[in-house]
Amino acid sequence: MTEALFAGMDQLFTLSTMITMLLGVVAGVIAAAIPGFTITMAIVLTLPLTFTMEPLQGVATMLAVYVGGYSGGLISAALLGIPGTPSSVATTFDAFPMARSGQPGRALALGIWASFFGALVSAIILIIAAPPLAMIAVKLGAWEYFSLIIFAMTVVASLVGKSMLKGLMTGLLGLFIATVGADPMMGVARFTFDFELLANGFPFLVVLIGIFAVSQLLQEVEDAEQTKHGKQLITAKVAFKPLDALRETLAHPVNLIRSSLVGVFIGAVPGAGGSIANLLAYDQAKRASKTPERFGTGAPEGVIASESGNSATSGGGLIPMIALGIPGSAVDAVLMASLMVHGIGIGPRLILDHGDLVYGMFMAMLLAAFMVLVVCLFSMRFFLRVTDVPRSVIVPVVLVCCVVGAFALHNRVTDIYLLLGVGIFGYILSKLNYPLAPLVLGVILGPIAETNLRRALMTDENWTLFFTRPISLTLLLLAAVSVAFAIRHRLRQRHATRPA
Amino acid sequence: MSSQAPSQQTRSSDRVVDTDTRRANALAHLLLNGALLALFGALFLRAGALPSSMWEPLGAGSFPRLVLACLMLINLGIMAQEWRHYRGAPSAAAGLVKRWLWRHRLALGVLALFALYILGVPLLGFRLASLTFLVLVQLALGVRRPRSLAIAAAIAVTFSFGLDWLFRDVFIISLPRGPFS
Repeated sequence: MTEALFAGMDQLFTLSTMITMLLGVVAGVIAAAIPGFTITMAIVLTLPLTFTMEPLQGVATMLAVYVGGYSGGLISAALLGIPGTPSSVATTFDAFPMARSGQPGRALALGIWASFFGALVSAIILIIAAPPLAMIAVKLGAWEYFSLIIFAMTVVASLVGKSMLKGLMTGLLGLFIATVGADPMMGVARFTFDFELLANGFPFLVVLIGIFAVSQLLQEVEDAEQTKHGKQLITAKVAFKPLDALRETLAHPVNLIRSSLVGVFIGAVPGAGGSIANLLAYDQAKRASKTPERFGTGAPEGVIASESGNSATSGGGLIPMIALGIPGSAVDAVLMASLMVHGIGIGPRLILDHGDLVYGMFMAMLLAAFMVLVVCLFSMRFFLRVTDVPRSVIVPVVLVCCVVGAFALHNRVTDIYLLLGVGIFGYILSKLNYPLAPLVLGVILGPIAETNLRRALMTDENWTLFFTRPISLTLLLLAAVSVAFAIRHRLRQRHATRPA
Repeated sequence: MSSQAPSQQTRSSDRVVDTDTRRANALAHLLLNGALLALFGALFLRAGALPSSMWEPLGAGSFPRLVLACLMLINLGIMAQEWRHYRGAPSAAAGLVKRWLWRHRLALGVLALFALYILGVPLLGFRLASLTFLVLVQLALGVRRPRSLAIAAAIAVTFSFGLDWLFRDVFIISLPRGPFS
């Protein structure tokens, strides 16, 4: 092990690898900060550039984009209220209100440190526990996956907005939207009405941009007077004090470690990833808090939980990939492809046959986490200049970026028509106070939920297995507890606000 | 007592506005959920016609039907809730819709321009459509002074021609070109 570790470090710490990793970190941060550009897209664009590199240099560069991307999503989530990637949906819950209350620098600095510690914890766990954790993750069958998604949906529906019924409605609406297009098992066209526009279904990225970006930007220009007088998005004086934020982040060690562990575990579950991890970590932080009512209004614990949770999935996702050759997410699949391009077989023998490469990847994760920290701390003052830009500039420019992001995904004009339709629908929903996060989560998780439900019943028609398999039962019980907790919390709130 | 009077006045005027919007909000929820209920009902029936599989107990239509049935139940739940709010709130003052439209004129204007922009992208090409959209929205949002106009023009060129160049030559992704390219 020690020999492989040093051989990996020897290959990693070369000038050319460090330079390409640094460029990868910058590219990842910028790509994820632009609404519509996901980490997956950034990594796919990086892949062809790594073909001529050495295997470790190529994969280290892509890991740098990956780790950078998880931190970059924070920027648009905090400053614009638009999650740059699905993994920063929960970051908007508290970082955006915090930025709006005149503390954008604090929101960003807290997020940067939380991301760093999340990535650090995940890299350490990856190094120590990759094989045993991977064995637990692959024990999850179709029953457990379906129950995990039920749990994630109830968590998010109970977390956001004032009405759980409305949260459930948008979540289920997301699940339904995901059924439009080809059926995942039989390939039958569903609800397409012979429209080419609907033949491929609703790509989740287009729904994400339309729902969050378009409706959020339209709300920015609702106040005609402020917009016409060139008011900025955030009018207060911006202060960026990273050392104060470091102290504040370290003042919540339990939250930080718990959220990172949630991120690592969810990342290790193939198919789950950052989009679930940030919400579950946020939920756990809210439940554990003595003042849960502050969540959603700019609570630092919320920012720390979401950002450490999503960043920790980067290491978690590598666990099943390295130990068993199963990619944890689309990004991991691209990373796997980059290794296969170089003729390296992925699977249980990877760590035995290419120990130097695997330990080099582990070290690259650690190095990338440090690079992201340095890049973000130095560049955040530049990103904070966004707050100086008047709404009259930022709104049309981000709308154009949204169109580019939606189009570039599949090079289809129909996707930008969908963007418009989804954007208008999202604006109507947001005006009526329907929470939008469950809808996006429903669209992402819908195909996984349906496939696993059908696969489970195809394996065994006995539906009671959902309640008799221990992990599945635990997840369903957690879902029930999450609903009960939300109802109790709302009843208490109603009781407290009722006049005596 | 005297110090309380203005605050009471403010609260009472707030309440007028609040009840106004509460009734209108409840009506909007009723309309939205009613429309969605009808839509989901029709889709539920349509899902029943989707083929079943001989290899699995659930066919292509089973999962959507399960989701649609849950959605319809929730729609009914929300409608029952909102009906109580609607009946409990006094009638809205005249001109509420007009006032709402006037208050949201900029957002609705930007939305209209955005819709035209999206329809214009395949017709005019990304560069021209984006240039026009960026100029018009910046003007609509209050850019008037010569210096701001110059900055607006530079931004419009950068995020139309510049973005097109970046995608075409760097990322090798061709954005819609239109007849003038």
